[in-house]
Amino acid sequence: MKCFETIARQMARREFLSQSSAGVGVAALASLFGTEGRGQSALGHGLPDLPHFAPKAKRIIYLFQNGGPTHVELFDHKAELSKLHGQPVPESYVNGKRFSTMTGSPTGKLMLAPVEPFHQHGDSGAWVSQFLPYTAGIVDDLCFVKSAHTDAVNHAPAISFLLSGGQIPGRPTLGAWMTYGLGRMTDSLPAFVAMTSVSKGTTCGQIFYDFYWGSGFLPSQFQGVKFRGSGDPVLYASNPPGLTRQMRRDWLNDIARINTLKLEEYGDPEIATRIAQYEMAFKMQASVPELADLSQESEHTLQMYGPQVREPGTFAHNCLIARRLVERGVRFVQVMHAGWDQHNSITTELYTQCRDTDQPSAALVKDLKQRGLLEDTLVVWGGEFGRTPFIQGDIQNRPRWGRDHHPYAFTVWMAGGGTRRGVTYGKTDDLAINVAENPVHVHDLQATWLHLLGIDHEQLTYRFQGRDFRLTDVHGNVVHDVIA
Amino acid sequence: MQLPCSRRAYALIFGTVIAATAILNPLLLSRPLLADETISFRRHVLPILSNHCFYCHGPDDEARQADLRLDDPESARHVIDVTATDSELFRRITTDDADEQMPPPTANKPLSSSHIDIIRQWIDQGAPWGDHWSWTPLTRPTLPPVDPFDGNTLVENPIDRFIQAKLQTLSRQPAPAADRTTLLRRVTLDLTGLPPSPTQRQDYARDTHPNAYARYVDRVLSAPSFGERMAWNWLDAARYADSNGYQGDRDRTMWPWRDWVVAAFNESMPYDQFTTWQLAGDLIDNPNPQSVLATGFCRNHMINGEGGRIPEENRVDYIMDMTETMGTVWLGLTLNCCRCHDHKFDQLSREDYYRLFAFFNQTPINGGGGDPQTKPVLAVPTRQQQQQVNRLRETLRDLEQRLDQRRQQLAKVRSTWEQQILAQKIPIVPAETLTALKIPVKNRSTEQQQQIVQSQHDADDEHQKLTAQHKTVTDQRNQLESTIAKVMVMQDQTEYRSTFMLERGLYNKQQREVTAGVPQSLPALADSASTNRLDLANWIIDRDNPLTTRVTVNRIWQQVFGIGLVKTVEDFGVQGEVPVHLDLLNWLACEFRDTDWDIKHLLRLIVTSHTYRQTSKIQPRDHEFDPANRLLAHGARYRMPSWMLRDQALAVSGLLVRTVGGAPVRPYQPKGVWSEATFGNRQYQPDSGADLYRRSLYTFWRRIAAPTMFFDTASRQTCTVNEVRTNTPLHALLTLNDTTYVEAARALAEIALRHSCANDLKRIDFVIQRVLSRKVADAELQILNQGLQRARGQFKADPTSAAKLLHVGESHYDESFDTVETASWTSLCLAILNLDETLTRE
Repeated sequence: MKCFETIARQMARREFLSQSSAGVGVAALASLFGTEGRGQSALGHGLPDLPHFAPKAKRIIYLFQNGGPTHVELFDHKAELSKLHGQPVPESYVNGKRFSTMTGSPTGKLMLAPVEPFHQHGDSGAWVSQFLPYTAGIVDDLCFVKSAHTDAVNHAPAISFLLSGGQIPGRPTLGAWMTYGLGRMTDSLPAFVAMTSVSKGTTCGQIFYDFYWGSGFLPSQFQGVKFRGSGDPVLYASNPPGLTRQMRRDWLNDIARINTLKLEEYGDPEIATRIAQYEMAFKMQASVPELADLSQESEHTLQMYGPQVREPGTFAHNCLIARRLVERGVRFVQVMHAGWDQHNSITTELYTQCRDTDQPSAALVKDLKQRGLLEDTLVVWGGEFGRTPFIQGDIQNRPRWGRDHHPYAFTVWMAGGGTRRGVTYGKTDDLAINVAENPVHVHDLQATWLHLLGIDHEQLTYRFQGRDFRLTDVHGNVVHDVIA
Repeated sequence: MQLPCSRRAYALIFGTVIAATAILNPLLLSRPLLADETISFRRHVLPILSNHCFYCHGPDDEARQADLRLDDPESARHVIDVTATDSELFRRITTDDADEQMPPPTANKPLSSSHIDIIRQWIDQGAPWGDHWSWTPLTRPTLPPVDPFDGNTLVENPIDRFIQAKLQTLSRQPAPAADRTTLLRRVTLDLTGLPPSPTQRQDYARDTHPNAYARYVDRVLSAPSFGERMAWNWLDAARYADSNGYQGDRDRTMWPWRDWVVAAFNESMPYDQFTTWQLAGDLIDNPNPQSVLATGFCRNHMINGEGGRIPEENRVDYIMDMTETMGTVWLGLTLNCCRCHDHKFDQLSREDYYRLFAFFNQTPINGGGGDPQTKPVLAVPTRQQQQQVNRLRETLRDLEQRLDQRRQQLAKVRSTWEQQILAQKIPIVPAETLTALKIPVKNRSTEQQQQIVQSQHDADDEHQKLTAQHKTVTDQRNQLESTIAKVMVMQDQTEYRSTFMLERGLYNKQQREVTAGVPQSLPALADSASTNRLDLANWIIDRDNPLTTRVTVNRIWQQVFGIGLVKTVEDFGVQGEVPVHLDLLNWLACEFRDTDWDIKHLLRLIVTSHTYRQTSKIQPRDHEFDPANRLLAHGARYRMPSWMLRDQALAVSGLLVRTVGGAPVRPYQPKGVWSEATFGNRQYQPDSGADLYRRSLYTFWRRIAAPTMFFDTASRQTCTVNEVRTNTPLHALLTLNDTTYVEAARALAEIALRHSCANDLKRIDFVIQRVLSRKVADAELQILNQGLQRARGQFKADPTSAAKLLHVGESHYDESFDTVETASWTSLCLAILNLDETLTRE
């Protein structure tokens, strides 16, 4: 069609302009206008100087466990803790430390032994409790960091801190930085997707704020697109009832023709971009339903993810969709599951929580592995902090046992994407209260993830309010020991 | 002079002609200077020092290295000699020795060769120093002379003198004025956020007076929709929302404050008063309900009701938010940098921060809980509510009178009544009353006497009836009062609260005590007995404050041109942009200040300038020379804000309901958005009827799940003044598929079908005129007509689809038209609503 040739010509001209400006103008203009763009084209090709070095991972799936999963029950096995069960927490472990107002002063709080036994698994002999039988089955593919620690003690600030490097909303999240820096790998799906779920009947779910996948001060094209658990996975992706795909196609051609006339008359490259974006929207309208259609998945695969896999809005479903997304070129998938906030439900709701997340998490790693995707896909599993090894609640009232927020130590695991397999890094003290060896701060985790993507965390910056911001603020050290 | 590599590349790509112009291009800061050009410290040198050196050699005491300050001429003299080659500074920035090189390679801030060239020439010219431009006192620049272009003067007002003088020095031309119709649509959208109505179009077309445009501008500026348009950006800056944010996210009732903003713009409240009232309307002489309501501005911050939060930590967060919002909105300062340390680039210390903080630190709020109406509040009834309350109060007064009368009557017959009771076989009063009755009157205690009176009242039918009525009406009044909006407002507590500097901004790490005050590097606070928010407000609007007017005028400029004269509207500090049109900015700031801070005057001046009226067609050579159009050699052209797109669709389709103000409304939104964000705790129930079609301004703004029908908007969580404009497929999906747009397309189609037109072609022209305020072009007509015929064929073959399309949206479709016909026109109108020109403020 003639008009598309014209568009193509215009697009080529635009690309030429943007490349030439990346090469020349921008450097000069930036110094005058404080331009943040650094040659980022509207179509999302990433920054010209990225990656900084050869990447090990091309994509990330972050299985974010909101609420603060209890490292004490799940991964951080401590014989000493069981011995001290019911005894007051030794003062030397908690002196001067700040806890949430629900705990207030930790003095005199009683130690609480994990409620399920731990065993060692795999060739690596990693400790995993009976809560997570499926995760226990893949420990030789995992890299545990048992010495993670954070600065924040409440959910929203702590989650924001992990995902954006700042406790206050407003900074770009990891996925936004990644797509800003590296650009997109597909034209028919968003580069950064977020999905959320919560176990049925959970009483301690934490709200999913949209700044958890926000782009902060980066242009909003880099913000995560929230795939929904019901209705259209992408808002407004369906044509209105009665308007067929063919009719839409025809009218989009007409719109493009008229826009091309406009472009010729006005010469504004933004019009060419709009023509391209409308084309991309049309592609997305087809690729999104295709993505959600699981009919081509084998029964074996579906079974791996567990009984909830066919139910949109569940963690299992989201894990499978995450695999399908990365297969189709999506850079960053943020799968969030709420409800790990067991202030009074260690002996009750924690079981549901683990049942709903354990099998799908392990299945995702296995599935990626069997498809050869694990090699360059980094999977991260973890929450915003851990839980207190001492009790919240009454030790006589077992059904209401709970643990409070604990920022001083928690466990995160990673798989694939160039991380070491079957290792455990870092160590807490004998009561799992404080980090004893190889502390890994939140900024260190972030620096490491970016490193795996071929990005020097000190060099990926964006000028805002006069300052060059980065994900890791002014901190962060790459943890080379977890990298293969 | 050595050619820097970046310019070589430029020459390679664009060829010699353009390379030659590049030499003259003032936009290219790092260009080598012309032989006789002197270096401007402010424009050329300070940005380099700030960006590359201040981090370690700037205002921050704690980060300073080697005891060297390059923001201070005295300190800098130690490394600057008579010539560059003798200067340690120059040696350090040019050495190859990595240990000595500045900035150190690890800082990731290398200087370019043109930067180094500028520093060299600056030192050789005697290293003259100067203040940062925005800190310098405001003086009105003289208007530069402009020669006619091709014999025509294109100067409509002083703005054009500045713009065109700059173009002239670069041998460039301003663009001719845009078409009358383009201009009509442009100015109406800019000033009211709505496209011109058919009546507005007709009136304007009929007015052949040479001043027709200026007269039209005056009409538009006095329309009620003006205030609504202006309010949107102010609400973004004021982080206005209808819920608290955070876990719980309870609904608040701050909307009377929003309506106050609309009214203030419409009534041309001078901006200095607008400022004073919002910061300190409770502290002015004779505060009134409106001035107190205005202080809701400060209280629009988020409220964190999450369990386990420490109240004082919340309270400190709120005060910081108030302080920083004030800093961004009026002063263009990035104060938040100074929470933890002295500013890295600007002359702002941590102490300055906490002294400003102290102004806001006197409210009685303790930070606990998540009450969305945390006191102090101001009850703001609607007129109807006020009338109802008045009526109920009157009824109550009446009932109380009647009760009083009845009691007097009963008192008169009390002794008889007492006898009657005592004579009864089975007395109808409680036992205690009976006991009391048996005691002689003079021996009874007060309580006993009261007991008797009470029993007499209770036994009386008339009294009972009146009491019951009184209770019912009181309940009604209480019920009504609980629905009256309560706006959180400002008030200082009587007991003085001390302010301490906080280590790293942490609420529990108090350091030295400070008192309220303004940054030392800026003009001093006027002498006054007090030091409260009113003094701060007066300082902000003082004619000697160098920032307030510049910042304000720049934000208004951004609102009209899509980009500020200073692009960094939020940062007027050293790291912000040095405006190319500094003189124009200064002139506008003076004009604004000297004409009673009149926003309408400022806007009138801007939109009647030739600069504003220019066509937005881009000449290729202009685009290559100045891709972002910072020199304004042609008119601005940009995609409208998403809220304006929605308003436009509603307006052209005749669906828009023009009620001004009131409680927020809930237009169409896909199901499940709120409930997914809140685990089912909150359900979005769209309104029905008129409230579906109100202006976007009135849409309920839930902080944790912002309305989905908008994009590229401020988060309304913290103060936002810069505009974001991206172009993504998700935006296309919204305007193509959202119920609002599909329904608007159908309503527009029905208007077109109702209009008497000779044929399809005339009818297509009618739609284009309605949407774009211009006639359809032949080429467009051909494409659209073919599309219409095609759609007719498709819907004829598939009438079920046609019927389905007409059912989108709540309003009923007009059954008098043929279904296929309406559907075909609907699909055409939906395409027209998605044309680039429709989405663009041209």
